[in-house]
Amino acid sequence: MVSIRTEEITKRFGDVVALDGVSLNVREGEFFALLGPSGCGKTTLLRVIAGLERQDEGRVYFDGRDVSDLPPHERRVAMVFQNYALWPHMTVFDNVAYGLKLKGLPKEEIAEKVRWALRLVRLEGMEDRTPFQLSGGQQQRVALARALAVEPEALLLDEPLSNLDAKLRLEMRGELRKLQRELGVTAVYVTHDQEEAMSLADRIAVMNRGRILQVGTPAEIYERPANYFVADFIGQSTFIPGTVRSASGEVYEVETNLGVMRAVPSTPGSDFHPGEEVILAVRPENLRLGCGRGSNEVEVKVVHVAYLGKHLRLLGEADGIRVVAELDKDSEVGSGETVRLCADPEDVLIIRRS
Amino acid sequence: MSRDPLILGMLAVSLGLFTAVLLIPMFEIVANAFWYQGSPSTYWLEYVLRDPFYFPVSAWVDGRVPFLHLEITTVGSPYTIRGDTLIISGVDYGVILNTLMVAVTVTLISTAIGVTLAFFFSRYSFPGANALRTAMMVPILTTPFVGAVGLRRMISIHGTLNTIFYDYLHLLPYRVVFDGLAAVILVQSLVFYPIVMINAYATMVSIDPTMEEQAEIFGSSGFKLFRTITLPLAMPGIEAGSLLVFILSLEDLGTPIVFQGSNAEKLLTYQIFTKIFSQTGLILPEGTALAFYLLFFSMVAFFVIRKYVALKQYAMLSRGGTWRPRTRRIGAARTILVYAVSLTILFFALLPHIGVILLSVADTWGPSPIPESFSLKNFRFIVEDHLTFSSVRNSLIYSTVATLIIMVVGSGAAYVVSREGGRWSEILNYLATMPIAVPGIVVAAGLFYTYSATPLNPVINPAYLLTLAYSVRRMPFTVRSAFAGMLQTHVNLEEAAWNLGASRTRAFFNVVVPLVLPNVIGGAMLSFVYCMSEVSTSLVLGGANPAFAPITWKMADILYSLGGGQFPTAALGVLLMSLQLAAIVGSNVLLKQRVSALVGA
Ligand SMILES: Nc1ncnc2c1ncn2[C@@H]1O[C@H](COP(=O)(O)OP(=O)(O)OP(=O)(O)O)[C@@H](O)[C@H]1O
Ligand SMILES: [Mg+2]
Repeated sequence: MVSIRTEEITKRFGDVVALDGVSLNVREGEFFALLGPSGCGKTTLLRVIAGLERQDEGRVYFDGRDVSDLPPHERRVAMVFQNYALWPHMTVFDNVAYGLKLKGLPKEEIAEKVRWALRLVRLEGMEDRTPFQLSGGQQQRVALARALAVEPEALLLDEPLSNLDAKLRLEMRGELRKLQRELGVTAVYVTHDQEEAMSLADRIAVMNRGRILQVGTPAEIYERPANYFVADFIGQSTFIPGTVRSASGEVYEVETNLGVMRAVPSTPGSDFHPGEEVILAVRPENLRLGCGRGSNEVEVKVVHVAYLGKHLRLLGEADGIRVVAELDKDSEVGSGETVRLCADPEDVLIIRRS
Repeated sequence: MSRDPLILGMLAVSLGLFTAVLLIPMFEIVANAFWYQGSPSTYWLEYVLRDPFYFPVSAWVDGRVPFLHLEITTVGSPYTIRGDTLIISGVDYGVILNTLMVAVTVTLISTAIGVTLAFFFSRYSFPGANALRTAMMVPILTTPFVGAVGLRRMISIHGTLNTIFYDYLHLLPYRVVFDGLAAVILVQSLVFYPIVMINAYATMVSIDPTMEEQAEIFGSSGFKLFRTITLPLAMPGIEAGSLLVFILSLEDLGTPIVFQGSNAEKLLTYQIFTKIFSQTGLILPEGTALAFYLLFFSMVAFFVIRKYVALKQYAMLSRGGTWRPRTRRIGAARTILVYAVSLTILFFALLPHIGVILLSVADTWGPSPIPESFSLKNFRFIVEDHLTFSSVRNSLIYSTVATLIIMVVGSGAAYVVSREGGRWSEILNYLATMPIAVPGIVVAAGLFYTYSATPLNPVINPAYLLTLAYSVRRMPFTVRSAFAGMLQTHVNLEEAAWNLGASRTRAFFNVVVPLVLPNVIGGAMLSFVYCMSEVSTSLVLGGANPAFAPITWKMADILYSLGGGQFPTAALGVLLMSLQLAAIVGSNVLLKQRVSALVGA
């Protein structure tokens, strides 16, 4: 198993800058997700790591070894493509055995490894089928088995679940994670589905427009988004623009259209100076009805209340700002009312505008 | 099946046309092949197999040991050396095996060339790739009939190549002459390889690149990657192209006619041709037996295309993901190699065209690489010679009328097949593509035989039968492109019109026709071109009454009746080629798509 490091990778396609100085560190045995909207460069980064695409600048290291000039197969990684790329003219067995045959293994060993890989993905007995005779989920698992059969140093997965229906996707998520843990293989997982990334990954890199905006554990990314894009892309928030007035320790006072708010920097240690234009972000579960001392208060006109089982989701509006809150399910609110919502200062995050 | 009068009308007209002009004549030929002295019999079919002229192997059983006796007639040597000349003429195994051997060899050669070129153009990127690819398609512009005339001039004893490479450069130990079957193979391979190339290219660019990338990750590359992944995935397209070449080679009559006087005469098409007596419509029963064999071979290939190949179409298992055809930039050395291979092929493939063009403007041409003197007299001859001029006019009239029939019936057939399910629609689907598989000489013989006792008798006036034969034989081009257009025109558009109270007929003319018209016209242009250059039906039916004969009949006529007949024939050939070029460019502009969709089977 290897650790993967990319250093200032830049890749252009004509005028399009697909990757713009991407530096990344994937630890050995880690399940690492690349998360970002469509076209942000996730696939390109994965292909650069795999050696399918040659970067214009920057280097790729496996375990500290510079592999930038190695062809794909010498990097000893396996890839699962979004469309599975199963060869339709080969049976399941031949698909899985292809990489092993190229290694020149004896027939017996190949057969054994194919069986092992197919058992891992619970497809024993399907050896003789062709890809056409498999369901989408089964095809996906053949692709996975084919990748695992060669016992790669790292597994590169490009939206492997995006073509499955919702239920299957949930099921496969669990299996994928279990397999990766058991085998201890380093995995880089590309997705544009934030929920998938959050539930699967040890760590996530959020990308936009060819850059990495933040790397962290799911909790860090959710609770401490580094910038507006991340806060907006991951989960939901109420965003309030404002201007920093003063600071006292970690807590800042920020002037907004809804009054002065007390808030903390979203990433610890960052400094804001008075007069700086910022955005305040509050997660829905951090807004509540009963206010305590020292908490921020906003008056919100309720637009819609949705019943979500455990909670009520309140959509409201305060001076042109869209407010989202998650309230206790027996809270008494109705559309058209005006309510007072409160948030503690440590739950109101200050984010830079850009 | 809808009972709508529009659908029923279209169905009736198209089925009627195909039945009258294709099925009944085919049936007549087959029935005659199975008929002897007033009753059904396989006499003639066996007779042909027993004659070593047709089939060199005879087998019989008798009481002696071993019981089965095989006798194989000795065959000649594939080449002879006469003085300073090496004549390559191929081995004569009798008419039936010759025909298969030529078709198989041509198929293999054009497939090898076509697949290699398709691979270059679909996988490598290098300066001038697009221009080179287009240039490699040029040979498709000729008809074998015209090409053979030009090529013969270039490769004859004192032809351009021998003069340059033997007399001037002394590069060859002998003067090399291709003759007979070998010449037929050479001509057909050079003319037909673009058909494989275009089909293989279309499939190769449509292969999902991740299929190959996945294999590369596992360490596959070079020829191994090509053999295990690319080639098998491109197989449906390659097979379709190859089988089409096989059929076209089987049914080619023009080339053996140009090389007559050699063992090129020992091919099925030529033999059938000589057994039809144009003045009376009489066909020797031997001829019908030969026609049956020819029909059988090409129908087998056709059904393989329709069933086996269609089933294997690897509708790519692809869902989403970025998809850009993957080409690799290659270095200078490999670029030079690609150019060297392509240009060598192109050089030989363009010899016929160069030959035809030079001949057409030649005044006299002795043993020198290019004509000694040039003139436009051959083109003047076309205008001034009364019968030649009228043959051009006849062809234009027949082809225009045939094209109009093709447009109406072809769009109707495409409409029925694309909009209606059911048995009749399925039958029509088969019939509309079947003309590809029925050799022209069989259609011609069948039509002659079927209609000789009717007012349509070609001896009285071949115009009607020729026009009908053209329209059926060249229908597939238009049906295919119209069908493609119908599939793109969503049925909702029509339903919207029905909803507003339009009848089906009205909606068809107001909605469908305007939308698919470019497709229909694009296909019809190709149909027109191939009507003009149709050989076998033109020679057989047109020969019945020269006053009404079409251009290709006149070309054959001039070629063998006048001294120096090759010059005006070449001028007529250039005229045909120009028409082809104009129509193909026109249809590509209209269809904005590769010729592949139209040429592919
Ligand atoms: N081969 C290529 N040629 C030209 N542009 C490309 C190529 N590959 C990617 N791009 C461009 O680079 C950018 C990043 O593409 P990439 O496929 O990496 O995005 P992605 O994050 O994987 O998107 P998605 O979620 O839609 O798969 C896009 O703007 C894309 O159009
Ligand atoms: Mg992608």
